Amino acid sequence: MHKGKPLILSIAAKEVLHILKDPRSLIILFLMPILQLVMFGYALKMEIQEIKIGVIDYSQSPVSRQLIDCFRGSEFFTLFSFEGEEDAINDLFMQRQAHAVMIIPMNFAGDLSREPLVDVQFIIDAADPNAGTIIRNYINQVILTFNESHQDLLPIPFDIRGTLLYNPDRKSTYFFVPGIVALLLVMISALLTSITITREKETGTMEQILVSPVKPHEIIIGKVLPYIILAFLIGIIILLIGIVLFQVPFEGSALLLLILSTLYIITALSLGLMISTVAPTQQVAMMLALVATLLPTFLLSGFIFPISSMPPLLQYLTYLIPAKYYLFIIRGIILKGSTFMQLFFPTLFLGIMSAVLLVASIRKFSTNLES
Amino acid sequence: MKRIQQMIEKEFRQIFRDRPMMGIIFIVPLVQLLVLAFAITTDVKHIKMSVVDFDKSRISREIVSAFSQTERFDIIDFTQDFKKIDNDMRAWNTQIALVIPANFGRDLQRGAQPQIHISVDGVDGNTAGIALGYAQAILLKYGVENKIQIPIQVERRPVHRVNLVERMWYNLELDSQQFMVPGIVVVLLTIIPMMLSAMSLVKEKEIGTLEQLMVTPLRKHQLLLGKIIPFLILSYLEMALVMTVAILVFNISMNGSYLLLAFLSFLYLIATIGLGIFISTFTHTQQQAMFVAWFFMVFMIIMSGFFIPIDNMPHSLQVFTYVNPMRYFMAIIRDIFQKGSGIFYLAKDTALMTFYGIIIITLAVFKFRKRVS
Repeated sequence: MHKGKPLILSIAAKEVLHILKDPRSLIILFLMPILQLVMFGYALKMEIQEIKIGVIDYSQSPVSRQLIDCFRGSEFFTLFSFEGEEDAINDLFMQRQAHAVMIIPMNFAGDLSREPLVDVQFIIDAADPNAGTIIRNYINQVILTFNESHQDLLPIPFDIRGTLLYNPDRKSTYFFVPGIVALLLVMISALLTSITITREKETGTMEQILVSPVKPHEIIIGKVLPYIILAFLIGIIILLIGIVLFQVPFEGSALLLLILSTLYIITALSLGLMISTVAPTQQVAMMLALVATLLPTFLLSGFIFPISSMPPLLQYLTYLIPAKYYLFIIRGIILKGSTFMQLFFPTLFLGIMSAVLLVASIRKFSTNLES
Repeated sequence: MKRIQQMIEKEFRQIFRDRPMMGIIFIVPLVQLLVLAFAITTDVKHIKMSVVDFDKSRISREIVSAFSQTERFDIIDFTQDFKKIDNDMRAWNTQIALVIPANFGRDLQRGAQPQIHISVDGVDGNTAGIALGYAQAILLKYGVENKIQIPIQVERRPVHRVNLVERMWYNLELDSQQFMVPGIVVVLLTIIPMMLSAMSLVKEKEIGTLEQLMVTPLRKHQLLLGKIIPFLILSYLEMALVMTVAILVFNISMNGSYLLLAFLSFLYLIATIGLGIFISTFTHTQQQAMFVAWFFMVFMIIMSGFFIPIDNMPHSLQVFTYVNPMRYFMAIIRDIFQKGSGIFYLAKDTALMTFYGIIIITLAVFKFRKRVS
């Protein structure tokens, strides 16, 4: 029994040799996530940079020009004057030359001095409903400013004070950078271990292990150990770059983040391992690892789409996504300064998940060996 | 020609023999589509809310019940303790706190213009902004509806305001699935063909069968074509299947031409499979091929406008999207489905995508030749 430890270590050493034998893969492993993080960190932005509006001004009055100037004054809009009927608007949208078209009616100036409400029509390209909504809100903001500059708003008997905590400027970068870290970590880890065992199956070295006195759990643990270290190093690099480069305010404990990130990495590695024991070939293993991590992490973890808005059945499914818990953890620690106790449940779930996956892989692996 | 045909037959036999792989190719994308498409909603609902009511008057109770009546907000807690709210917010138990100060109701009736506070978890800035908007709208509505009972100190002046009339074209109901489901189809149908083709040559290299192929009278480009064509046929069938299911299950309205869609899908698959084969020519092991393919895939998805519009990106980064075939096809498929755009409007995207496919396959052939000799 006392021999258990060295055996694990020698299996780990063998895996390390295998990793070092292929320096290309190693370089790819370190460079790619960095490149991706930097690129996506800058690329992913909810904020719309430039809303192009075509203006049809039938009124041609000082007031209508004042309204147009109100839009010009905002940094978000680019206006161009546009003449044409509805067909031409369709054409404009199909060529993707405008996001919206503003139509100021003929008697705009006169009506504004007589009527309580004067309609100004905005035709918005809402093919992307999210972008459409954001554009509508931006437009609404300008209209409000215009109305206020003209007169007081309806009297409301109380004041509403809204405060945005943790991210007062609503910077989407703060929201996305932790998400990218979560995505990269889970994918790298799962892909790394997904082929460890299938590789041995394919190259026939599994038989050699079979005849050696090593126990299944020793093989599994020995194989995972080097990847924990590897993924941990990659994790530290990504976290550092993410926080420093994108100047994400760091509110919580760095130590706690490191510990819980390691737990997350172990969960993802165990997931890869589980896949590795199930898949017959490397190719199938990689495909499974990819399919199990890529889109589910994008869509079900809360990376972009809030979980609470999903249909209830799907919300239950999100409990199976490790990145969901890690997003609570990393966003919590970095942006809110959450403590361990506040993150107890996500941590617990990650712990349970990795334990279950590890035990299941060892079980499956032993039955593989016996048959 | 005969040789290519034989090579194609061999490839097909190999693929069909691999049962788990067939499962991955045909079943996994369907399952993912059916599950993931429901995840997509830009609607913000069931925002978890804590209420701090120091006033406890009729008015404050009415305000709270106005919040509890919508499905936008789920009131999860009533408390007087700010520490608890702070803790809940950091533990992700609550997202928004409504604070009604003491004497709010009395001050309101005296016309003393009291304040009401709303604090939102701003980490997800987009959701936070929407949540705050909803909360303000509920309060404003309450304020407007109940102003009769409140003495108005402001003298009434005639109001003249501009009213925003919006017309949301192409997606009247702002249904995200109409926009996202075709996008998911594109992503799913990129992952599998690209991975398959990226690993195909490398696998033969690794198990040593590439040498055997080399000593056959097959020419290099014939060998590559023999690899590409089966993948192309298979992926095309897969695309037809997944697309049909997507349209039927999610009621995606098609405003354009199916023929055009079928044709451009084919061009897109050439570009992606070409990219996969290209990866296969410069990597040595399946592991390397997979990591490189993975890198390209994540890059392609994020830089395609799939969920973040390319317009939002800094201009210096937008340049990178031009080397991304998915960028073109993402725009094409959405425009065909939603706007019913014809080839005339899609000419630029189509040309660039086709050009991309030609270049990448030429590169693959060139690289493969050099490598072998």
